[in-house]
Formats: sequence, structure tokens, C-alpha cells
Amino acid sequence: MTPAAVRPAPDGARLSALARVPAFWVVAALLLAGAVRMAQLAGRLAGTYPLATAAAVVLFGLLAVPFWLVVAELDFLEREPIELLVLAFAWGGLVATSVSIPASTALEDLVAKLGSPHLAADWGAALAAPSVEETAKTLGVVAIVLVARAQVNSVLDGVVYGAMVGLGFQIVEDIVFAVGAVALAGQGDQIQPVIATFLLRGFLSGVWSHTLFGALVGAGIGYLVVRRDRRPAHRLGAALLAFLAAWASHVLWNSPLLGDGPGNGTLALLGVLLLKGLPPLALVLVLVRRAHDREADYYVERLSTLRDPELITEGELEALRSGAKRAAARRFAGERAGRAGRRAVRRLQGAHARVAVELSQAGAPNYDDVREQRKVLRELGHPEAIAGPRSWRHTASTIVTTVVAIAVLWVALSALGGA
Amino acid sequence: MARITRRERMSLLGAVGVVATLAGLAFGLPAIDRALPDTRPVSADEPYLIGAGVTVVPPVGATLDVTVTRPGGSAGTVLFRLGSVQYQIAVRPFDGDLRAAGERLRQRITATSGYQVTGPQLGITTAGGLAGLQGGYTAPGRSGRYVVFVADRDSVEVTISGADLDLARTLPQIEASTRTLQTDGRDR
Repeated sequence: MTPAAVRPAPDGARLSALARVPAFWVVAALLLAGAVRMAQLAGRLAGTYPLATAAAVVLFGLLAVPFWLVVAELDFLEREPIELLVLAFAWGGLVATSVSIPASTALEDLVAKLGSPHLAADWGAALAAPSVEETAKTLGVVAIVLVARAQVNSVLDGVVYGAMVGLGFQIVEDIVFAVGAVALAGQGDQIQPVIATFLLRGFLSGVWSHTLFGALVGAGIGYLVVRRDRRPAHRLGAALLAFLAAWASHVLWNSPLLGDGPGNGTLALLGVLLLKGLPPLALVLVLVRRAHDREADYYVERLSTLRDPELITEGELEALRSGAKRAAARRFAGERAGRAGRRAVRRLQGAHARVAVELSQAGAPNYDDVREQRKVLRELGHPEAIAGPRSWRHTASTIVTTVVAIAVLWVALSALGGA
Repeated sequence: MARITRRERMSLLGAVGVVATLAGLAFGLPAIDRALPDTRPVSADEPYLIGAGVTVVPPVGATLDVTVTRPGGSAGTVLFRLGSVQYQIAVRPFDGDLRAAGERLRQRITATSGYQVTGPQLGITTAGGLAGLQGGYTAPGRSGRYVVFVADRDSVEVTISGADLDLARTLPQIEASTRTLQTDGRDR
């Protein structure tokens, strides 16, 4: 484990600190311009279809919550400042979208003019949207680096910021598409087209959409910024490769390939979704796993220097290495000491993460939170926050959740005419 | 006066680069697009495939607007231009009957601010026997006609709009074109 893989961040990135960076004001101006453009668009939509617009904002706003929590949880050990996460999300939702609307239209027109309307109909969306949108989203991660470079201190940070930019873009685009579907339906201010769009773009294609592509691009920018132990050409090559992977995934998703392949029906539609969506999803999962493990190794190494079981035990160090093990430790505490135990373990893990970051910054860590949670756990009769053996209840819960997810997917596909 | 550090200068330069790239996307690409013509000639001698197996013979003297025209297997749109007059045909999957298709098109027209439908809907039949409904609408500075057909679980929506004088001059060619609308009779 080389320290080059993780570069400790200075403490926080408060707005007052950001305001001292000249680039921040350029980014703020771009956000303001994007907000004005999108407000004009939202005003037009809400003026014509107020009910549908409100329904779309509520539904897709709610959809953003689990995505946000999952993305933020990726970087459990060294959480990104909320200001920067909001900035990344806003870039995706305001700047990237407002630039992409005219640029994608123009590029698709150029495909039709330089090629033919047939080419534009078949491949216009597949070529124009990824080229414009991935570029605009990549600039969002670059903007984060420009205003708070020290906060992008691991590849995982790049993944988190890229995913947040993608999430902002995805949510705003989905809202625009949903109200567009209402206009196309020509039935007035109805919410059925909004629900259909929610099922299609939220459930069926939400998992492998802009959040995923943004995460890929962010991994590349993270590598470019952090791995200063590698040659510049190597880092630039890796960033370009990540951009190309995101672009190619987006092209594949938008392409007419397999459109007529496996025929009609729910199974066929599910097959197409999986064939087009799984490759980038698998790639991002591998990247995230690798980046997370590198970061976890780094911070666990810092914590292991404490050598004080009152602060952290060997079992707790092991549990901190992965999200699954952290969750298993919370579950185990829940089984042995109830809700209070689960809560205390969650707080202890958070305190350990803060101490790890403070140790990496070569500062004087504050152990008060760790000692306090240790005391609570002792009183509850569960002194150590370790992962327990896999219980049958957890296995059953995983199986039931998977079955329910497949059933929801099946119903959504059938409702959209797949069956 | 505080001096700007090298890091701040690089950050600012980077931000300028970001702004330049965004400007290239938001303004550069549309400028290149505008520099190239939107339309190209189209033959009035042979049927043009709109999409979903629906064809139409274009009006004499019309040009094809390639920025709007998007043929496809299950849906499609074509826009012909005759001077200032726009003649657009859209084919898309539709489960309802002709009356519902007419109502949907009227709602979509009136959803645009300033657009109003005028008068009742009248029946129309193409040369191939396809029955439809037609009506008129007005918009600021222009008038319009619409025609709608339903065939093979698809709706075929025709909208024609332009300045009054131009519309009156070109309407006979456009009506003749609309009567050539045909489907391949296959359910998609």
C-alpha cells in the first residue's frame, strides 16, 4: 500500500474556504447561469403542466435520496464535504443539463446534415448525447478539482464526485423527460406519463444511467489527480480511457443495437437491459471495490498504529475494511444488544473513521467519541464492534429482497408493454 | 495588495478552460449547425418512408428538413418545407380510435400558448381509403391545418402551418400529398 494511492485531505472544505479560491467564483457564475436557464425551462413546463411537473419533481426527487445515500456511503472512511457534494450535484443538474440541451440537438442535427435523417434517427441519440453529456459532466469533476483539489485525494473521491455530477444530471433530465412525455401524450396535465417515465427511467434504466457513467469518468479524473507517483502520460491515458469507457457505455445504452434482436416480451426486454447495462455496471463495481479497498487499507493502516484495544481492536480494524463487514458488525450488534447496540456501533465506526483521517493529517486526534461509544457498548454487553457469523435471518432477508426487486422489475416491464 | 499564487493562477486558468469548453458546446456546436443548410431537395415522384411502414409522396417543390425528419421502424417524423410553410407528418404507436387520436392532437396544439383550434373536425379519406379527421387552428402570425389518421395501431398526425398567403398558395399541393399517405398494413 503506497501513500500515493491516497493523499490526506486538509480539514473540511467550508464555503468560506472555497470563496478564497478564484476558480470557485467562475464555477459559481456557471452554476448561476445554469440555474437561470433551467428555471426558465422549469417555469415553462410548470406553467403548462403544473400537476405533472410537481409529480415528476417529487418522484424523481425521492429517487435521488437512495442514490445519494449509496454514493455518499462509498466513501465512509473519509467522507467528502457536503458543500462539494452539493456543488457536484448542482453542476450535473444545472450546468451540464443546460449546456447539453442545445449542444446535443445541434450535434444530432449535424449527424443528419452530414449523414442522413436515417442515420440521425438510428444513431443520432447514440452519438450526440454521450459525446456532449459525458464532456459536460467530466467538466463538473474537473471543476471540483479546480476549487478544492486537496479534497480529491483518492480514486474513490473521484468516483464519488463523478457519481454525484451524474446523479444531478440524471434527476433533472428525468424530470424534463417525464413532463415531455406528458406533452407528447396530448391528454392535458396528467400524471400517468410521469409514472410510466418513472418506471422506465427510474427503475429500469436508473441503475446504469448517468450516475454510473459519471462514476467512471470521476475514477479517471481521480487517478489523474492523485497518482502523482505515475508518469503524467500514464495518468492522462488512464483518465482518457475512463472517459472513453463512460462514453462507450452511454453509446451502447442509447444505440439501436439489440432493439429488434430478442423479440418482444418481458424476458426479452429484461435481456436487452441486462446486456446493455451490465458491462458498465460490472466495470464500475470492480473499480469502486478496488478504489475502496485501497483507501480502506490506507486508513486501517493508520488506525493500526494506535495499538490500543481500548480505542480499536484487531477485529474492529478488520470490520472497517469493507462496507459489507461494517454492515455485518452493525447487524451483529443489533442481534446482541438491540437498536442501541446497532446505533453505538455505527457511531463508533464513524468515530474511528474521523480518527483515521486525523491521523493521516498528522494532527492530534480526538479520541473522546471513540471512548464514549466504547463505554456505551460495554454497558450494553457488546464491547467490540466486530462482524458476527452470517445468520440465517440475514440470508433469508437477502433472498426476499432479491425476489421482491425482481418482482418489481417484472411488474414495471410488464406495465410498460413488455409483456 | 495580495499577490496571486501560482496555484491560484493555475486554478483560474483551468476554470477559463472549463468555461471555453462549455461555450464551445453550448454556442460553438449550434453555430456550426446553423452554418449548414437545414433542408435538402426531395423527389416528388416517389413515396417517402416516414416510419412504421407509412409513406407519403412529397408535394412538388418541397424540401426536406433533415433536422426534424427522423424515420424509424416503429415511429417516425418528416418535415417538408414549401417556402415559409411547414408540412409535418408524425407516425407513432397508438392504441385508441380515430376520435381519440383527433382529440389528442387538438390538445397538443392548444397546449402551446396562443394556439387555438378553429371550427369542427371534418372527415377526409386518402387515395388508398384511409379515413381521417381534419381541422384548422390559428397561431400568432400564422394559420394551420391538422389531419389525423389511425391505422395498424399507429396514429398518423399531419400538421400544416404558415403565413395565410403562403398557406393558401401551397395548400392544394399539400392536400394532394396528404391523400397519398399509405401504410404497409403490417401490425408492429
